[in-house]
Amino acid sequence: MKRSNQIWITIICVMLGVVLTAQLRTQAGISQEIPTKRIEEMASLLKQAETERDSLRSEVHKLQAQLNEVMNQEKSVTARIQEELEQARSAAGFTDMTGPGLIITLKDSTRVAQPGQDPNLFLIHDEDLLKLVNELKAAGAEAITVNDQRVVALTEIRCAGPTISVNNTRIGPPYVIQAIGDPGGLESALKMRGGIIETMQFWGIQVQMEKKDSLVLPAYVGSHTFKFARPVDKEGDKQ
Amino acid sequence: MIWPLLGIFVGMLIGLVFPFSFPAAYARYIAVAILAGFDSVFGGLRSSIEDHFDPVIFVTGFFSNGLFAAVLTYIGDRLGVEIYYAAVFAFGVRIFQNLAVMRRYLVDRIRNRCKKPSGLS
Repeated sequence: MKRSNQIWITIICVMLGVVLTAQLRTQAGISQEIPTKRIEEMASLLKQAETERDSLRSEVHKLQAQLNEVMNQEKSVTARIQEELEQARSAAGFTDMTGPGLIITLKDSTRVAQPGQDPNLFLIHDEDLLKLVNELKAAGAEAITVNDQRVVALTEIRCAGPTISVNNTRIGPPYVIQAIGDPGGLESALKMRGGIIETMQFWGIQVQMEKKDSLVLPAYVGSHTFKFARPVDKEGDKQ
Repeated sequence: MIWPLLGIFVGMLIGLVFPFSFPAAYARYIAVAILAGFDSVFGGLRSSIEDHFDPVIFVTGFFSNGLFAAVLTYIGDRLGVEIYYAAVFAFGVRIFQNLAVMRRYLVDRIRNRCKKPSGLS
């Protein structure tokens, strides 16, 4: 064999070796992942579960319709409507509500901002209130007020200069948030490690929480007429 | 014979030092390309033993075989045909043939050397 031939073959072999190692590494990585078969199996299981869920859901709808029919037969129609109206009104926040709950009082930080620190960080912002209210909703609060403004479906919590606008009413500190729900559950949801209270206290915002056996939350007072939105007729919008 | 083996080892060492790997989606194509590379190397060894080694043909063959094998596998995957097997089969058969030819040549050479130790170098 000629020397030059061997040199060529050796050079190519070096390249082959590099690619070979890389490929071995790739293959080792692949075998660690979930095998494709398992993925397919799980996908089919998921699909099966989903079809089952859909069929159960349609059954629930059917049974609910049946139940409604039966209940309508038992009660007189007006009483039923009255009850439904009452339920809808309380769900929408148009009635005063009472029950056990939690009172949270927030005051701006008394800490003096160090030179170079943004003093805004030590004030309560609309975002803080929004997060707090959201957390309360997630924890199962059934009625919430912010400085006696009832939080309903279309309530905004928004920055309005030095104040915060809630239900188009400007409110200022101290902010008192009342929520009806399981007092212990609500409190622990807020006090969660790394949660919203901890963050606010980090900036020196003063937070006081008080569990109450009985709270009275005022109803939403404001216009509830719709200018643009109209309900859709259930039987296909015939007019 | 020693040099190509040494080359593979050096290449693998380089591969170990630089920890790069291919995307998992391309693993199949690289595998076929590596097979084609082995085929080329064995073909090169054989032709160099038989004394009609051409560096240009060897190098272009190495790259084009690898590339075409990978591209064919890719096309096969797109079409839903396992052209992959055709490449594996073809290259596998050729690797074994080349090995057989080389083995025969080496055996012959050793036998000749035993018979008349003064001849052939």
